[in-house]
Order: sequence, then C-alpha cells, then structure tokens
Amino acid sequence: MNAPLFSRRSLLSRAGAGAGLLGLASLLQEEQLLADLPDPLSPRRPQGPARAKRVIWICVNGGPSQVDTWDYKPALEKHDGQELEGFDKFTGFFANSVGGIMKSPFAFRPRGQCGKMVSEIFPHLGGHVDKMAFIHSGHTESNNHSPALFMMNCGLPRMGLPCAGSWVTYGLGSESRDLPAFVVMSDPLDRGLPKGNASNWSAGFLPGVYQGTWLKPKGDPIDNLFRPTDQPAAAQRGELDLLARLNREHLESRPHETDLTARIESYELAYRMQSAAPEALDLSKEPEGSKKLYGLDQKHCQHFATQCLTARRLVERGVRFVQIYSGGMENQRSWDGHSDIKGNHSQFAGETDQPVAGLLEDLHQRGMLDDTLVVWCGEFGRLPVAQKGKTPGRDHNPHCFTAWLAGGGVKGGVSHGESDELGHKAALDTVSVHDLHATILHLLGIDHEKLTYTYSGRRYRLTDVAGEVIRPVLA
Amino acid sequence: MLATRPAFPLAACLFAGLVSVRGEVTPDHAARMQAGTALFEKTVGPAFTEHCLSCHGGEKTRGGLDLSTRESLLKGGESGSAIDLQTPEDSLLLQLLRHEEKPFMPAKKPALPAPLIADLGRWISLGAPYNAPLTDGKAAPHQPMRVTDQDRTFWAFRPLTITEPPPAQGEWKDSPIDRFILAALTANAIQPNPPANPRTLARRASLDLTGLPPSPGALDRFLSAPTTQAWSDYVDHLLASPQYGERQARHWMDVARFAESSGFEHDYDRPTAYHYRDFLIKAFNEDLPWDRFTSWQIAGDELAPEEPLAQMATGFLAAGAVPTQLTEAEFERARYDELDDMAGTTGAAFLGLSVGCARCHDHKYDPIPSADYYRFVACFATAIRSEKDIAFHPNAYQEKLVPWQKRQLELEDELRRYEASAIDPGFTAWLEHPGELTPLVGDRWSLLEPDSVTSTSGTVHTRQPDGSWLATGNVPANEDYVVRSTVAAGGAAVRLEALTHPTLPQQGPGRAGNGNFALSDISIDALLPGTTEPQAIKLTAARATHEQNQGSLSVKSSIDGDREKSGWAVDAGGIGKDQAAVFVFEKPLTSPAALTIRMRFHLNGQHSLGRFRLAVASDPATDFEVGRGTAQNLAEGMAALKKGSASLSPPQQEALRDWYAHRDAGWQKHQAAVQEHLAAKPAPDVKPVLICSEGVKPLKHHADGRGYPHFYPEVHTLRRGDPKQSDGVAKAGFLQVLMPAGSEAERWQHEPPAGATTSFRRASLAAWMTDVEKGAGQLLARVIVNRAWQHHFGRGLVATPNDFGFQGERPTHPELLDWLANDLITHGWSLKRIHKTILMSATYRQSGDFDAADSAKDPENHLLWRFAPRRLEGEAIRDSLLAVSGLLDPTMFGPGSLDENMRRRSVYFTVKRSRLPNSMLVFDWPEHLVSIGARPVTTVAPQSLYLMNSPQSRQYADALAKRSGGAIPTLYLLALGREVTPAEQAGAEAFLKKQSAYYQNQSDAAHRALTDFCQALLSSNEFLYLP
Repeated sequence: MNAPLFSRRSLLSRAGAGAGLLGLASLLQEEQLLADLPDPLSPRRPQGPARAKRVIWICVNGGPSQVDTWDYKPALEKHDGQELEGFDKFTGFFANSVGGIMKSPFAFRPRGQCGKMVSEIFPHLGGHVDKMAFIHSGHTESNNHSPALFMMNCGLPRMGLPCAGSWVTYGLGSESRDLPAFVVMSDPLDRGLPKGNASNWSAGFLPGVYQGTWLKPKGDPIDNLFRPTDQPAAAQRGELDLLARLNREHLESRPHETDLTARIESYELAYRMQSAAPEALDLSKEPEGSKKLYGLDQKHCQHFATQCLTARRLVERGVRFVQIYSGGMENQRSWDGHSDIKGNHSQFAGETDQPVAGLLEDLHQRGMLDDTLVVWCGEFGRLPVAQKGKTPGRDHNPHCFTAWLAGGGVKGGVSHGESDELGHKAALDTVSVHDLHATILHLLGIDHEKLTYTYSGRRYRLTDVAGEVIRPVLA
Repeated sequence: MLATRPAFPLAACLFAGLVSVRGEVTPDHAARMQAGTALFEKTVGPAFTEHCLSCHGGEKTRGGLDLSTRESLLKGGESGSAIDLQTPEDSLLLQLLRHEEKPFMPAKKPALPAPLIADLGRWISLGAPYNAPLTDGKAAPHQPMRVTDQDRTFWAFRPLTITEPPPAQGEWKDSPIDRFILAALTANAIQPNPPANPRTLARRASLDLTGLPPSPGALDRFLSAPTTQAWSDYVDHLLASPQYGERQARHWMDVARFAESSGFEHDYDRPTAYHYRDFLIKAFNEDLPWDRFTSWQIAGDELAPEEPLAQMATGFLAAGAVPTQLTEAEFERARYDELDDMAGTTGAAFLGLSVGCARCHDHKYDPIPSADYYRFVACFATAIRSEKDIAFHPNAYQEKLVPWQKRQLELEDELRRYEASAIDPGFTAWLEHPGELTPLVGDRWSLLEPDSVTSTSGTVHTRQPDGSWLATGNVPANEDYVVRSTVAAGGAAVRLEALTHPTLPQQGPGRAGNGNFALSDISIDALLPGTTEPQAIKLTAARATHEQNQGSLSVKSSIDGDREKSGWAVDAGGIGKDQAAVFVFEKPLTSPAALTIRMRFHLNGQHSLGRFRLAVASDPATDFEVGRGTAQNLAEGMAALKKGSASLSPPQQEALRDWYAHRDAGWQKHQAAVQEHLAAKPAPDVKPVLICSEGVKPLKHHADGRGYPHFYPEVHTLRRGDPKQSDGVAKAGFLQVLMPAGSEAERWQHEPPAGATTSFRRASLAAWMTDVEKGAGQLLARVIVNRAWQHHFGRGLVATPNDFGFQGERPTHPELLDWLANDLITHGWSLKRIHKTILMSATYRQSGDFDAADSAKDPENHLLWRFAPRRLEGEAIRDSLLAVSGLLDPTMFGPGSLDENMRRRSVYFTVKRSRLPNSMLVFDWPEHLVSIGARPVTTVAPQSLYLMNSPQSRQYADALAKRSGGAIPTLYLLALGREVTPAEQAGAEAFLKKQSAYYQNQSDAAHRALTDFCQALLSSNEFLYLP
C-alpha cells in the first residue's frame, strides 16, 4: 500500500508538459493503463532531490575477489595455508575442492589522500580512491552466477523481474529524444554474454520500452538502425515524407487519436536515430588525448576503453543508464577465477583498470562526475580459502563482496562496512543488494519504496520488501 | 507546500503548522486536545468502528495497520505512516479515504461522506487524540487470516447475478449485450455511435478474429449485400477458418507464459514443447468446451490418458522457466519456485487471482491465506516435466493397418497352401529316399535351441524361424537376458549374433533409439551331468565383427569383470548391420552340459539387444560366419535319418522340413513375399511430446549430475516462503473463498483408479475449478468471457484480466459480465458462441468516430460509446504484411522457427526465451516468463526502424509492388482492402514520378519507386490499426 511515485495532483500540475501525462495521471500505477501512454519515455522529474542524473555501471562479471582487489586482509597472510575451521563446503560452487586459507597473490599499498589500501592490479584506479565510496560488507542470496546476477540486476535471484536500469527508466523516462534511455554493452571479445543473457537487462513485467538496449558488439549495434542499402538517403526521406502525408490525411478525420499523432512523430524520431546513434558510437572525432586517457592505444584494454569512452558519449547525449560488462560467460572468460586467481584477476584488472580510471577522470574534467553515478561491482565476492588446483583459484562467495560508488552525490575516499578478519563474511554494517539498489535510486532522487508497479495484484518494487539507503556514503 | 492545497480548510492548515511531532507541548495543547477528543467521540471514533475496525484493529490488521489505539495508528502500517501530524493533508489515510490513491478505502465499499472525511482531517490536525482505545486492547498482533462469508461477497467471488437485460429500442433492442451497454450509456446521457461502414466492419472482424485482413472472396460476398444475415454468415466464416485458432492460441500463449526453452542461464531448447501450441490451435478451432479445455491443461494426463490432445494440453504446466545450473543448496528452493510458477500461473490464467501473493504471508488484499496457497501448491507436488511418445492420427494409422493386415494374412495363406501342395508331398517322399541328397553344409557353428529365454524386466522374446530371438514390449532401463540351453560335448567357444530386424530402431541390432545396444557383461554357467552345482565357465578371449571403440565399449570389456560401466556396443559404423561376437572358453566342454548364459545390459539406459542368436563351435578359432550355422536339431536329425525316418523326434522332423522347404525356389518366392510385406508394415505416427505428469521419467536436467531430485513427495507450509521454516506438511486443497464455508476439499477429490501412476490431485483441482455449483466454476467463466471481451474491444469489462481480486479493477458492466459468463456455462462452455454473440452486437458494430461531447463524459470510452481504434499486435502486423504481399505460407502445426525470414504466421515463431524475434519484441511481445493478461501498446522508435529498415519490411514492400502489377487501385485494394480515392491516385502518381528520380541510374527505377510507395502504405497508421 505504498503511495504512488507521483501523486495525481503533482502530475496534473505538470500536464502542460504533454498530453500524454494526462493519461499518466490516472494510470501510472496500473498494469493495463500505463501501457496506453503514447510516450512512456517522456522525461520525468523525480519526487526527491536528485544528486545523480545518470548511472554508468561497471559490471565486474563473474564475481571479483574482494580480498585481491579493495578489501585488504593482512590476516590472510598470517593464516595462509591453514584450514578455515567450521567452513561450510557448500558455500561455493565446488564442494570438493576446498583448500586452505590463501593469501592474496597481490601486493597492496596505500593510495590517495585517504590512504586506502589498494591491490597492485589497479595502478590507475588506485589514483581515484578519493572519489570512491567503498562498501566492504555487501552480501547476496545465491552462490551461483545467474541467480546472483539476477539478484544484482533485478533484486531477486529469479528470472522475470525488471532490472534496475528498467526501473530507473520507468521512473525517470529518457532525457534523449533520439537515443535509447538504457544501454548495455557486453564483452566484445567473443567470450559470451553474462550468465542469464538478456534477462539481466530485462524489463520483466514492465512494458518492453523500458528494457535495456543491447549494443551488439558485432554487426549493427542496434537492430534495423541503418537505412536499407538499396535505398538512397533522399529516397528514404521522400518515402517518409509520403508516409507523413498519408498519416496526416488519415488523421484528418480522427484528430483526437493521440497515439496516431505519436506514431507520426516516432518515424521522425527513428529517422533522427539513424544518424544520432552512429554519431554517438563513432569515436573517431574524439581527441587523441581522450583516447589515450582511456587506454584506447593499449592493445590489452582497447576493447574496454572503447566501451568506457562510448559510455561517456552516451550519457553526455542524454542516455540515462549504461551498463558495461567486463568479461563474458563464466570461468576464465570472466572474473570467475576458479583456477588461477592470480592470472585471472591480473588479466581482467588489466583490461579495465585504465579505461575505468580514464572514465572517472574524463567525467571529472568535464564536470559530469558531479551528477553521474559510477558503480563498480560484481554479482558476488570470492572465498578467502583456495579452490584447489594446479594454480589455485577462489570459489564463489555470496556472504561478502566489495562494491564502490563514485560521483553523483557520493562521498569520496570513504569505506563503509567491514568484512570479517579474513574477508569471508560481511561483518559490520552489512549491506544487502536491496540496500545498494535503494541507495542508487535515492541518489537519482527516487524513494525506492515509492517506485512501484502493480503486476498481477501486487505492487512490485526493485527492492522487494527491504532496502535501506546507505546514508554514510552520501555526500 | 500548504499553499498548493487550497481544497483543505485553511484553519486546519494553520493548526497543522503548530503541531509538534517531537512531542513538545504547544501553548494551546490542552484546548486542541479537547476539541480533538470531542471530535473523536462524536464522529471519528464511531466511523472507525463502523467502517474500518473489521479489517484494521478487530480480528485483523490488514496491511499491518491497526486503528484501535492512537499508538498503533501513529505506528502506521506496512506502507509507512497512516497519518502525518505535521502536514495532515499529506496523510495517506486521507488520500485513501478520498479515493485519490489506491487502495480506495473503505475496502470494497463506497467512499465515506465528504463531511466525515473533513472531520477526520480536522481531527488529525488537532493531533489525532483518542478518548479511549476502540477495542479492549487485546487485538492480537497478527492472527492467521480467516476466510469469512463476508469475504465471499466480494463481486468476483459471489455467485453470478442473473439479471434481465434492460429493455431498449431500435437496433439496440435485440442483443442483451447492447441492452446492458445502452442502459449505462443512457444513464450517463451518452449516445452510442452509428454502425461503421461494412468495409470497415469486415476488416475489423477479420483482423480481430483471425489476425489477418479479409480474404477477397469472403469480403466481396459480404459487401455485395451487407445485411444482418450476411454479417452473421461472414462472422461464421471467420470463426470456422483455421486461422481463428491460430489467432486465439497466440492470445492464450501470453497468458500461459508459453515458451519452448528452459530460460535462465542455459535456456535449453524444449524441442517437443510446440505440441502445446498445436493443442491450443486445434482446441480453439474445434471449440473445445472451456471447462474441458481448462481441465486438460491442469490434468489431461489423468482425465483423458488416451487422448493425445489432453496430453499435449499439460504443456501448460510444463511451460515455465526453470533455473538449470543449480547447487545443492538451491534444490529445494528451486522446486518451490517451480511449483509457484505452476500454481501461480494456474491461478492467474484461469481464475484471475494472484494466488502467488500468498507465498510469504497471507494475501495482503484478497482473502487468500498463506495456508490456502500451500494447499493449492500441494496439488502440483509430484507433477514434473517429461516427454511422452504419443501416437498421432490413430485413425489414419488404422486405415493403413487394416488393409495391410488383410494382405499379410493372404500372403501367409498362400505360403501355407503352397507348402501343402508342393512341399509336404515332396518332403514325405524325400524322407523315405533321402540317399541322393548331399550331406548338410559344413557349418561349424551349431545353433543353440534354448529351453528358455527370459528377461529380468519382463521383455518378451519370440523365437524366429532362423533360431534367433526377437525382443518386444517396453524397453526397460536395465535388464538381464537369461538363456538356458543344453549343448553337446566339445564346445570350445560361444558365438553371440546381434541381428537386425525391421521392427527395431534404425533396424537395430539394439533397442536404443539409435539402434545401439551395450552388453555390459556376459557370463556362462554349466551344469554337468552327475553334478548339482553349476560351474562358471571362464571366458578368456573375445572378438567381434565391429566394436564402438577399443576401450570401454569394446567386446573385451563385456568379460572384464566390470558388469556395469563398460561393455560391447556397436555404434560408430555398426548400426543397421548384423554383428557377432565370439567368446572363447578357458577349456572345451568335456561332456554335454546344461548352460545358463546371462547377458547384462546395464551400461546405458534402454540399450538392450533387439534380436540375438547363440551358437557353439568346437574350434575356438572358427570364424564369425555371421548368419550361418547348423541348427542343432537339424544336425541331429540328419544323423538320425540315416537310421530311418521313424527314429526322428518331432523337433528333428520339423527342422528337416524347414531345411527342405528352404531349398525350394517356389517356397523361397512365397516366403520372400511374406517377409517383404512384413517389412512394409505401417508404423504409427509417434512423436515425443513435452508433458507434465507424475510417476514418469523426468526430463533431463542440467543438475542431474549433482542429484537434483526434480520433486519432493510432500509440500510444506512455509513461513515467509522459506523452505527452511516449515509449518508442517500441506495437504492438497483449494481456495476457501471459492467454496462454501466449511466445505472440505474432499468434495472434489478424485480417487486414483486402480493402477494409477498419478495422485489425481490435479484432477481434483480441475474438478473444483470447473464446478459451477460449489467450486470456482463461475469465476472461471467470468475470467474467460472477460478475456474474450478484451480481445474484441481492447479492454476487458474488467480492465485487469489477470486480477479479479481486490487490487484489480472493478467491472464496468458487472451485470453484462455475469450475463456472458452465465451464457457460456449454460451453452456448453462454447467460446465461439460468445465471440459470435459479441460480434453480432450493435456495440461491436459501432463506428470508431470520435465525439467531443461523449468524450468529455467518458474520455476513456469505458462505457463503449464508440469502437475505439487500436494498434494491431506484432503478430497481426507481420502476418498482415505477409498476407497482403502474397508471401504468407499458411502451413499449420509442427515445429516452429527462429528465422525472421520465415513466412509462416508468427504463432509459429519458436519462443526461445533468450532469442525472442525482434519483429515481435518491438511491438510489445511479452517475455514469456510470467502470465501476461494484457500487453502494453507502445509507440516507440524501434517499431518505426523495423518498418523502415528491416530486410523483411523491404521484402514485403517489394513483393507487394510486384503483386500489384504497378496498378495503384490494385495496390490499395490489396494493402488496405479499399478503393483508392482520386486524390490519392493523383498523389501516388506524383510521388512515383518524383521518387523514380532518386533511382535514375537503375534499370528498375519505376519498380523501386513503387516499392518505396508500398513500404509507406504498409507502414501507415491505416494499415497498422484495427479500424
């Protein structure tokens, strides 16, 4: 019985913004009715004060190890090789290859003004710790990739629910008239999609317009984006002019059908997208300095640098929510370091360190970091004990992960929550995935308890029945 | 903030500003408390008691809100604070009471009088003081929900109200639908629209009922004399067309969250799931009564086990998405999720109830206690996905089989007559004078004549004329063949022939689906004369004509001591051919012996031998000589014959006769004819079908290797939906609110018939769901007629088709809804009849014209003063594009396709959850993960991009251009089903002239320009909208 996101009156008072909102007034809450909005993507102001206007989410796919990245645990060194007493061998995925406590193969050193201890695999990112708020006490509900990914993206470890990007787009609409509001980029190196595929950017039961647009790493980035090759540009313009005329004639006897008008506009919008989207994705006009900043000139991280720079160009042009997946399917194709944690994490940190650092720096220089929220996290963490093998790895750990937030309304150089001595379980000021979601929504000016959608008799929200804003990380 | 709320009394606002939330006492505190308490005693308190406490403070505290004390009121409920002392106007309580926000309060009742609400607002502004608690203060914190008769009076749960439709005049007087609609319109002083023109109507009805534009023939017939009778005939024609079923099936597929893959991380294909879609199409086309339609989807396997359609129907339960990669810790939770999918989809699809909301706690809004949820779920406890071989077209099979059988008998008769006339006299004569015949061929393998051939799992073996044994009947997962036979002294090796046969998969020699077998072990015991304990014969060497590999599937691995994990198999080149293996005895037999030969087939499921023959030889080096061998009886018979025919035993005489006949050319010809005809025996059309049933082999699951159990025999009532917090076993049952008080589930309980492999809990559920007297049958009818209505008018009489509960919309025309539901029930649950009734109404036949005055009174057309045009669904758009361009392939049924270039109707797109076709997705296709009752209708740029730029869209335009032959009138007729106006004709000509210039360097510039014209026409609103 939550109050709706927008009260009827507040909507009516803004009805001047467009006829579509009149429909929204009575219908926003209703499964059936929202649907009939001619433009469900019209931009909307959130109820609360927004510190961030947009989100870039680095999805550290496969589950990064907190103790080898940001959560420095000297005790691991002390107990290296010892058995972890009372450890439940079903915590991870492989119950039969549980080894002893394993120290990090990486050296840590203090970075930034705040002196945060950072793993050597992040030489560039380490320089930005004063912009970041670390959360060391994250925990989730599944020890398995796809449910944990669904949890991180959609709030429950199940398929079929809207993801955070869809909720945000539903709540705030789109700032861009000719680009999608919510864009997802996956691994471009043939290492596959995150487990669970497109369900990770699904709109679930929300209308399909809120689903993430997946920029395909190969071929046309967006379906049907380009004019047919057999049709010259002038011919297409001619055809669309004809179409507009046919539609206007049709409309003459039906002047009150608003969605007929909306469709006439949507052809013009599509026409503009044909040039706007390729323009946004074309990095050739970026200055060399920019490209270098992201590491576009470095072979080992070129692909991710391209995606990070693209992300900046997209948000600059009004895209609301961007997710970039580092790595593809599981095992060595992502951060899923079951075997050889050292090699695995060195590789994936190497692919992303400079590009993400470049993104933070670039946003900062452009003054965009103030209202752009950058999120870095995986679907779960990894265990402090070894996964036995020729080159030891670490297995999944749902009980503890580290995430960081930076930019839009986030306090820099702080660490929130603590894991236990070994980084095995979240211990102090624990943070659930719901809390993380509530915080992200809060920064966007949305009360997570009020952003609801009635489906099949129940008001759903991203945070299910839980979630508390992590106040200490707010600036 | 206050200034923006002029509707609220100013005085109250000023007071509100003085109220302290931190408990500080303001100077006028006492006076305000006094005024507030007086107000409470006079109006607020009595109003709470009368209108609110039965749910919020008496026995119940719905939504966690308790109004019985000031303290509990201030605490608020699950939605946060009920009142806001600082800005009383913001109080949620007031917003709900004023019906500004949902859920409107008081629940299920009209709003409270405005003065009373104003008092309440004032009372809050005075600090909301109570003079005393409204109950004795013993209100339990949270009692389990009790379902009361009061709950049963909610509109959706109470019995159908049969009302005489109000009288009407003119065109609106005949149809009861029109009389109900007109009464409501008249009450609101709204005039309905006049009828639409016949051409529009024809297009509307065709797109609506079949998802395709009208066929020219039917259209012309109707337009030539568009009388009421002609309209009736036209509608009948549409309802009878096969495309009707395709359209209706697609509607229901949304509701059934039907897909053909598992979803989640692997999204494994379910290649036999399409049978459910075929079932839907057939069932809608045959107008299968909706009660049976429903029952079969829930329990077709139990209710009509011999009916293929009923098995296919259970694909409804099997269609959900399930996680595939599971860890042990997730097994139980995953099974409860799966049960939730089955039960939740059943509740939403058939009863319009969000049963699933009661999984973690009593339903927040509807009278569905959590206990009811688990009872409902328990109906599905042991139901799992499986595949079943189903014989299709049994009649066609019988039609072929009967003449075949007749011919077979004739041929066998001819053979017998030939034997009587030609073989028997010759044989008798020969027996007396055998001398001139040469001795028997020197076959060195002596064929065994077993005393018995048995299987440990009941497989039946039948002796064939050549001494081999053919296995028939069900193929068990694992079994042993045991052969008992006596042999003469001297045997030093045994030969096992694995032989082909027309009845075996891939001709055999094995019984596995691919024709293979896997002999995991062979062992031989010998009972020697004068002993009572059999001795094992050690087999020391083995060789075979073909081995699948040299390791675990080699012939040696059948005698390696391991009886399960390795053994002789013959795939990789050996299927469909006769094979043999020879096993050498450690020592030759020194005396005759009674052998027990045990062959084990444990390596791989259903990998038994299809036809085999055993023989022994005295020389262990004897070659395989596949297909050859001397029958024991024949050899002995030949020897005996030397002493005269009188000394022959009957088996020996039979063997000699057999041998004699085989040498005769005439006999060979007759025998060949029999064999040839036998090989041509018609086979039933058997296909594997995805079903949901019990006691069946589960469909393979990714986590089988970890021991995923597929189901647990019992369902527990769980606290907070957590499998670790059981409140005991839940007994299968139904929803109390949809049965008389105190009524027990036993009323509907089906006793499983003797020998049943299923629990019949689902059959019981189906009985309750379709019981119109005491069960859920009346709601079942309301829900489906509402869906039918929705697909005709774009909006149901209940606008939330999957939620008839408290949170859902109320019916706009409750009497009409009940009238339709009753009509369905009393006329054999025929949906076609409901469609016909609706299409014959003047309400449906209205024009779509807009009227400003009517719109001012009913902007959303809830009262149906016009037929509001609406965008077609993705399927109807694509199918229409294919149809008008002449590219449509009308092939029905069978496996679907993922290819966007497919030219069959869109209902034949394979619904693979991770690869939904873009042409459907852009037009608001559901994700097929949960039941969707109404699709959103959006207007977004990707739709335009699809129509402008997709290769398919260009292809359709190109084909239409060709089909039209360049004639603009033809083009309009084909694409829009109407004549071109002179202005349009002129406009088209001007466009083509100008457009050709863009293609001036091309030889087919005119065609290209026309293609562009066609594409514009096919992208136009007129084409995309239901008129």
